[in-house]
Amino acid sequence: MSSIAVDQQAGRRPAAAALAFVRRHILTVYSVLFFAYLLLPIAVVVVFSFNNPTGKFNYTWQGFTWDNWHYWDGVPGIRSAIILSLEIALVASLVATALGTLIALALVRYGFRGRATTNILIFLPLSTPEIVLGASLLTLFLNVAWVPFGFWTILIAHIMFCISFAVVTVKARLVGFDRHLEEAAMDLGANEWTTFQKVTLPLTAPAILAALLLCFAISIDDFVVTYFNSGSQVTFPLFVWGAARIGAPPQVNVIGTAIFVVAVAAMLGNVILQRRREVRA
Amino acid sequence: MSFFHRHRGLTPYLLLAPGTAFLAVFFVVPLGFLAYQSLESGNIDFGYAFTWSWSNYGNAFRDYHAQFVRSLEYAGIATLLALVISYPVAYWIAFRGGRWKNLLLLFIVAPFFVTYLIRTLAWETILSDNGFVVHALQHLHALGSGGRLLATSTAVVTGITYNFLPFMALPLYVSLEQIDHSLIEAAEDLYASKLHAFLRVTLPLSLPGVVAGTLLTFIPAAGDFINAQLLGSPENHMIGNVIQSKFLELTDYPAAAAMSFILMAGILVAVAVYARAVGTEQLTGTAV
Amino acid sequence: MTDQLTRRELLQRAAAGSAALTLPGLLAACGGSSKAGAGSTVSHKLAKTLHFSNWTLYIDTNNKTHSHPSLVEFQKKYGVHVDYVEDINDNASFFGKIQGALSRGQSVSRDIIVLTDNDRYLSLMIKKGWAEKLDKSAIPNMKNLVDVQKHPNFDPNRDYSLPWQSGMTGIAYNDTLTEPVLSVAELLENPKLKGKVTCLNSMGDALTCVMLANGDDPTKVTDKSFNAAFNRIKRAVDSKQIRQFTGNDYAPLLARGDLAAAMSWSGDIAQIGNKHIHWNVPKDGGALWTDNMLIPNGGNIYTASVYMNYVYDPKVQGLMEAGDPKRNITGIYYIPPVVGAGAWAKKYDPTVAKNPLIFPTKKMLDSVKIFDAKALNNQKYLTQWQNLISA
Repeated sequence: MSSIAVDQQAGRRPAAAALAFVRRHILTVYSVLFFAYLLLPIAVVVVFSFNNPTGKFNYTWQGFTWDNWHYWDGVPGIRSAIILSLEIALVASLVATALGTLIALALVRYGFRGRATTNILIFLPLSTPEIVLGASLLTLFLNVAWVPFGFWTILIAHIMFCISFAVVTVKARLVGFDRHLEEAAMDLGANEWTTFQKVTLPLTAPAILAALLLCFAISIDDFVVTYFNSGSQVTFPLFVWGAARIGAPPQVNVIGTAIFVVAVAAMLGNVILQRRREVRA
Repeated sequence: MSFFHRHRGLTPYLLLAPGTAFLAVFFVVPLGFLAYQSLESGNIDFGYAFTWSWSNYGNAFRDYHAQFVRSLEYAGIATLLALVISYPVAYWIAFRGGRWKNLLLLFIVAPFFVTYLIRTLAWETILSDNGFVVHALQHLHALGSGGRLLATSTAVVTGITYNFLPFMALPLYVSLEQIDHSLIEAAEDLYASKLHAFLRVTLPLSLPGVVAGTLLTFIPAAGDFINAQLLGSPENHMIGNVIQSKFLELTDYPAAAAMSFILMAGILVAVAVYARAVGTEQLTGTAV
Repeated sequence: MTDQLTRRELLQRAAAGSAALTLPGLLAACGGSSKAGAGSTVSHKLAKTLHFSNWTLYIDTNNKTHSHPSLVEFQKKYGVHVDYVEDINDNASFFGKIQGALSRGQSVSRDIIVLTDNDRYLSLMIKKGWAEKLDKSAIPNMKNLVDVQKHPNFDPNRDYSLPWQSGMTGIAYNDTLTEPVLSVAELLENPKLKGKVTCLNSMGDALTCVMLANGDDPTKVTDKSFNAAFNRIKRAVDSKQIRQFTGNDYAPLLARGDLAAAMSWSGDIAQIGNKHIHWNVPKDGGALWTDNMLIPNGGNIYTASVYMNYVYDPKVQGLMEAGDPKRNITGIYYIPPVVGAGAWAKKYDPTVAKNPLIFPTKKMLDSVKIFDAKALNNQKYLTQWQNLISA
């Protein structure tokens, strides 16, 4: 490995050793700082979830309490709102990623008539301001009223604007994909489907996972388009916006923290499982 | 699968069909309604009628070109910042992440789980006039003694950058993670320094990710309104804010629609110029 | 989005299937037709469910059982389940959401909605015939409505709307950061407050206060009085006195000391939990705003009217208003529109009844005014205002 060469050189010159150490770790230090910056608001959110505000506003620290966690759904409507948001985010991200991956495959691997048009079709939803996007979709639902307002209309809306994100993310992977691997597999007798299953898909998996995460995040946080197409249903962001008018209760912080913790725990569990598998193997 | 061998020409269309059909129904048709609306005229009291009112476009551009330009400007700066900030981290996760990669990716999107309003309120707490950040900056004379961070263009651009970081970081990671390390080793075996290897091998290979991240950040950021609304003064407002007010407060739906199309056109032009610059293969992918 | 059905839309509906077309038919059968003509008899049969859309945290709440006691009592008394949805957080966006359906003559699946009178949408709904007439025969308690609300300029005979709660607009200040800020002049022109002041982005609220400070009458707006008030605010923007135009997002800034003073709503300050923040009606007068209940087209008129009658019972209103600390019920803490609610509120929670922000003194009520509804719908004024707050 090249680092051995570097170390050998470093052994000869202590200054270079120091420099090498810094260079080695500056990236890590920077990344840690980056995550600190990224998650700073989350830290504030977590801290304030333990706040005990005297009034209805949770803006200044007034005392520690476990109550908010104890009565996490003590605010009527918050539970159904978060459940709805999670359901929609899960389904929407899965469907959008699936549809988006297919489109990305087509765009990168094949020459066909209408490639430019398809590309424009993918970019347009990204560039449409949310308010007119939401209102126009609502017009569609009103004029052609066969979709019940609520879960289904919100789901359709979320899939619609997530597809573009999935396409662009997966495409970034496919563009640099080494086709020789697939050719090698086929030379070794695999048919197209097996090659896709055993070569293409696993190598594209990180991009698909990234697309899933991105779509999930977008969906669970969307406000404007959801608002127009939600009928009388209330998702978590809608709930928060409404509550913030009077003063978002600390339970909102509790739920945000809880989702974060659960997701991290799930990922950690995955890592530990993988490690066990590797050790056993 | 020989069906696909024989019908190779059909495969791309089959792959495209579900997604594009979905978009055709649930995006293109609404867009059609929007286009129709952009050529209407009238008001909420007496109704709207289709009158080929091209003046909606002319007026929008005449009255609000400052906000259009400002939006592209803020979005551009935010995109550049996001790129510079995210690239090292994406690199770190891709090359050094090991089995923690997925967890780290999760951390990147984690802020989205607490909803935009809550994380912006948290930032307002952190950047408060009386908070330690502002005090520190005043101490370092980066800010005047009466200076503030909130309700400024800095706050708006910072807000946009922060909220779009995942859109830049994830595509970057996706592209970087794919790079075959043996290529880099080969370069170093050929006596390239680490920096050289990075510039000549890693960076070019990560370009698809850079392009993807840039598009996913710039395009939606140009139409953003919420950061300017909560973190800016009137002079920082973007075209998204104007469209919002045209639609909601002024109930001037034709104007809002026309402005949206002008914005979309502006973005597409910017993207086309960008595509030229980086080479269209990065954008559209080569068909081997 | 034209008002009348165009031929194209009619064809689209026919093509789409019977669902869209039978909607008005279904509604007619349910007793609430989409455009009820004057004089049509309203069925006096209670629906099984009342769909009530309201602003968030704007009703009495039992924090332990997650229920709304007044709604539970209503169900017990009349056998009607209230499907209570808190999906209104802004007049403009809510209107933007429902106008699509209403302009097509479709129902919005709600029986009662709540809109504010110092924004254009309330009077717009009534003007365009998108609100149903109340069944006054079912609302004998309407006599309990306070005098000042009996003949508002957007609904002179209270045919379409009834107040839900009221609030006032005035000035809040932080006593650790500034001397008392008691007038609009101080807010907009005191150089010591430069950059530490916000104004409301609501034209009705802001202009009422400034017009009163100019000595003009906000209930009858003229071009001259509009321009005088507008320019005064604009000067404060240009001189950077005003830092931002806000909705209720002034609250965290005020609480944390980023603002010395803010034009603000009375209810928020009662709840901000910071004893250094004080709210006052400005010296020259402030604004009175009222959230009103409306029955949108397609709503069940009789059931909605019965509910309104229930809410106008002073005993019910008293509990809704004050809550009941003994039973862990939080009240609404805005100004009730019902005569006699005060007496009942005192029984449930004596402290609340002494709160002038919930039960204002006569002096306060005399000095707050309701903005001219005609001016609220003046497109020229509105455009000018939007250009100011979104430069």
